[in-house]
Parts: sequence; C-alpha cells; structure tokens
Amino acid sequence: MGRQLKFNIFRYNPEDSASVPHMETFRLEETEAMTLFIALNRIREEQDPSLMFDFMCRAGICGQCAMLINGRPDLACHTKTKKLPDDITVLPMPVFKLIGDLSVDTGTWFRDMNTKVESWIHSDKVLDPAAQEERMDNVLADEIYELERCIECGCCVAACGKANMIPEKFMGAAAFNRIGRFMLDPRDQRTENEYFEVVGTDDGIFGCLGLLGCEDVCPKKLPLQDQLGMLRRKLGFSAVQHIFGKVFSSKK
Amino acid sequence: MYTQTVAQAKEPVRNDAMYDFLQMATGVALVLFMWAHMILVASVNLDFGGGRVMNFIANFFEATYMAQLGGPVIFLVLLFHFFMAARKFPFRAEEQKAMWTHTVRFNHMDTWLWIIQAATAFIILVLGSIHLFSVLTTLPITAARSAARIQTGWWLLLYLVLLPCIELHVGIGAYRIGVKWGWIKRSTREYFHGMENKLSFVMIGIGLITLIMFYFIVTPDPTFMAKTPIPHM
Ligand code: HEM
Ligand code: SF4
Ligand code: SF4
Ligand code: FES
Repeated sequence: MGRQLKFNIFRYNPEDSASVPHMETFRLEETEAMTLFIALNRIREEQDPSLMFDFMCRAGICGQCAMLINGRPDLACHTKTKKLPDDITVLPMPVFKLIGDLSVDTGTWFRDMNTKVESWIHSDKVLDPAAQEERMDNVLADEIYELERCIECGCCVAACGKANMIPEKFMGAAAFNRIGRFMLDPRDQRTENEYFEVVGTDDGIFGCLGLLGCEDVCPKKLPLQDQLGMLRRKLGFSAVQHIFGKVFSSKK
Repeated sequence: MYTQTVAQAKEPVRNDAMYDFLQMATGVALVLFMWAHMILVASVNLDFGGGRVMNFIANFFEATYMAQLGGPVIFLVLLFHFFMAARKFPFRAEEQKAMWTHTVRFNHMDTWLWIIQAATAFIILVLGSIHLFSVLTTLPITAARSAARIQTGWWLLLYLVLLPCIELHVGIGAYRIGVKWGWIKRSTREYFHGMENKLSFVMIGIGLITLIMFYFIVTPDPTFMAKTPIPHM
C-alpha cells in the first residue's frame, strides 16, 4: 500500500461572489510513479470536479502547469510525489493574475513581456523567400538555442523577490533571457542603445536584486544567472562609459 | 519595415544604470575600507594589547591627514551608498509585506540573505554614524582612547551589535555584487557562496577577539571621557 498523501490546496473562484479564498484538504493514496499532475487529476475526477488547474502536455513542454509546491514554483507534471513529504501544500503562483484555484494567467503576462522586449528579429533586410537561408555558425546557433528553450512557465517570475514586490512593473528573468537571446543573434540589427531603451531601468535589469530565485527554480535549467550578469555588466558599463565620455568631451 | 532613424534620434535615459553602478562602486569602496579598518584595529592584538602597532598605523594616517580627511569622506560615501541602495528598498508597506510573504513562503537561501542585508543596513546606518561621529570628534585615534571608549560598557554593547551586522552586510554584499554584475558565474557560485560564509565568520571572530582585547587588556586613556562630546552613554 502506498503512502497516504495529504494535499492542502488553495481554493478561490474570483468569478463567484460567494467564494472566499481558503485552503482545502484532500487525501489520496500514492501510486507508482505518481506526479503532482496525476494526483490533481485524480482529485478532480474522484473528489471534486470543480478544482481548477492548468495542464496540456504533461511532459514539461507547454509550461501550463506551474504552481507553488510547498512554496517552490515548479511544474506539477514533472514533480514526482515520491520526492515530496506526506504533507503537500499547493498554491497558485503569485505575481500573475488568478483565474481560479491553482490556475493563473501567465499568457497575458508573457504576451506583455514579449511586446515590451519586442521579441522578434529586427532587420531592414528584405526577405527573399526563394533564396537559401542565411548561414549561421553552429556554436552560435547552439548558444541561441540554449536560451530559446524557455517554455514561458513563469516559475522564474513567481520565484523573484523583486517581481513579488512590484508585480505590475518588474520585467523578470524570462525577459532578460529573451533579450540575451536577441543580442546574440547576428540577424537582429538592434543597437546597444535600443536594447538599453528596453531593459536599462530599475524595472528592468538594474532593479534585479540578484537573489537568483529565478536561476534556482527554472525547470528547464536556463542559464538565467549568467544572462543577468551579462546584461547588467554590458549595459551598466556602457552607460558609465557614455556618461564619462560626455563629461570628458564637454571639457575640451 | 524596421527603421532605425527614430531610435537613433532618441538617447536612452541612463540614470538608473548610473545609480546602480554607483551603488556597486560605493559598496566596493566600503568593503575595501572595512578590510583596511579591520587591519588597523586588529593590529592591537599583534603586541597583545600594547597598542604600539596600532598607534603606529594610526599615526601614519594622522600625519598624512588621511584620518582627518578620509574619515569625513568615508562618512559621505556611506551616506551616498545609503541613498543609492535605498532606491532598491521597499519603503511602501504593501511592497514590504509582499516581499516578506514571498521570503517566508519560498524559504530560499539567497532571498533570506537579502533580507538580512536590508535589515542590517539600517542598524549600520544608525550605529555606524554614532561610531564615526565619536571617533572623528576625538582624534587622534589611539589604542588607549579606543579602550577607554569600549570600556564604558555601553560602547562595547554597540560594537557587539555593529560588528556582526557589518560583516554580514559586507559578506553578502560582496557575493551579490559578484552575482549581479556577472563576475560570479553559475559554475563558480557555490565556491564564492562558501567563501563568503567563511570570510564573514573569520571577520566576526577577529573582531570579537579585538573587542575582548580592548575591553580587558588595553590600558585606557584616563582623560578620554572628559574630552569626548558624547558623554558616558
Ligand atoms: C549606511 C548604512 C547602509 C545602508 C542603509 C546600506 C544599505 C544597503 C542595501 C539596502 C543594500 C542592498 C541593495 C540591493 O539589494 O540592491 C546594500 C548593498 C550593499 N552594501 Fe550597504 N548599506 C549600508 C552600509 C554599508 C557599509 C558600511 C558597507 C561596507 C562596509 C556596505 C556594503 C554594501 C555592499 C558591498 C552592497 C552590495 C552592493 C550591490 O548590491 O550593488 N553597505 N546596502
Ligand atoms: S536574480 Fe533578479 S530576476 Fe532573478 S529572482 Fe532575483 S531579482 Fe528576480
Ligand atoms: S526562464 Fe525558465 S522558469 Fe522562466 S519562464 Fe522560462 S522556462 Fe520557465
Ligand atoms: S503540463 Fe505542460 S509543462 Fe506541465
């Protein structure tokens, strides 16, 4: 017989005026290779069909099932209950807008983020669909691919102290990573100034406190720490050079 | 179609970047100063409380006017650092609550470290200013005067609080500068995290030994308390 697991789950439906935020307890016997995703589905099927949570791929690809599992943001579908204690508390991720129970709206947040960082290749070259694609060095292509792996789950944002402090404003590690990706891409013609315009503020890279919550929770293990460091150093020192440059040239 | 003309005409606002840089630069300056400071005061241990080495070093700073000038400069750097770093501090109650809820719920090492850094900051602001004011208004610095101050008892208490606050703030600060500016990479983070812990412990240890030395061994300057504008606290 498997362990008896106790799930403390956050319940609240903002659409229902009678609903108040509260924790509800469910019990379930652990089965072989159980994931939190399986457990939640069983609770919904066997105990309470009104339980709200998101999932799609159940394979760590779509990024839909992120939630706070004993306080830590992670994907429900790749979290084995075996690795959790008997008592499991599940909360919806903070920062994002609550849809209901464990379901949050990461879509709007990421759409805004992608708009803010202008998440596309900026080029004034005219595309010739008949021509062969431009070639790219393999090593560089791999480096870009490494940063492309983000599944927009939002774990890094939920784990970020700064994003919790100013949820409406702070851009978050996913955005810094996205910008790092375009900075690497030789096809993107944006200048450093233009990148600076996008992230060079206290709501962007200079507001990052370096707490590395993002780095420590990213389920895809994206190199967020190294991206943050690179961005701050590059843009920070360019700003210093720029300002000193102005001071010295105006003295002449 | 993408055109660069608009973007080129517009220069980005670089203030936030500059403030963040200055926060880091003043942080580094203060860390270096604190290490130098530790060498000066801990040198009293070298001749077991005799104070000859410490007086020699202090004399040097006095004779070159580095104490008279450097002291107030350090105070200004401290204030400036406070203004820069305070920009990152959540002064609104709502933000504080959000940060605290997040920290407790997430229970993540580096996030806790930041809480410690922010909390020690305000203690340092008050106690550090008191200390600086007292020392700089009773120059020259000598081992006997320091001993007189510490042996009042209340000052000992102040230093027993200030010492760990400074060392934690400095240790965490140095580590976080490395992380934020990308000098500490994913591959070296664990190593520097360990270093930071050990260094903070060693510094607190040396500081404690020095305080014990001042309190029990060093002969105090008997006329000192009459000279200080801060009376027997
Ligand atoms: C006046 C008292 C002080 C206050 C209010 C203060 C405040 C702060 C705060 C709130 C931070 C965190 C900023 C952030 O997370 O971005 C910080 C960082 C730091 N502080 Fe202080 N501090 C004080 C004194 C000192 C002293 C005396 C030292 C060194 C001896 C020091 C060294 C540092 C360092 C190295 C950092 C990291 C800098 C960075 O993250 O860019 N601070 N300080
Ligand atoms: S390192 Fe920066 S982005 Fe990552 S969790 Fe901390 S404050 Fe947020
Ligand atoms: S960077 Fe990682 S944690 Fe953040 S959204 Fe992308 S995959 Fe999720
Ligand atoms: S269900 Fe797609 S990532 Fe978990």
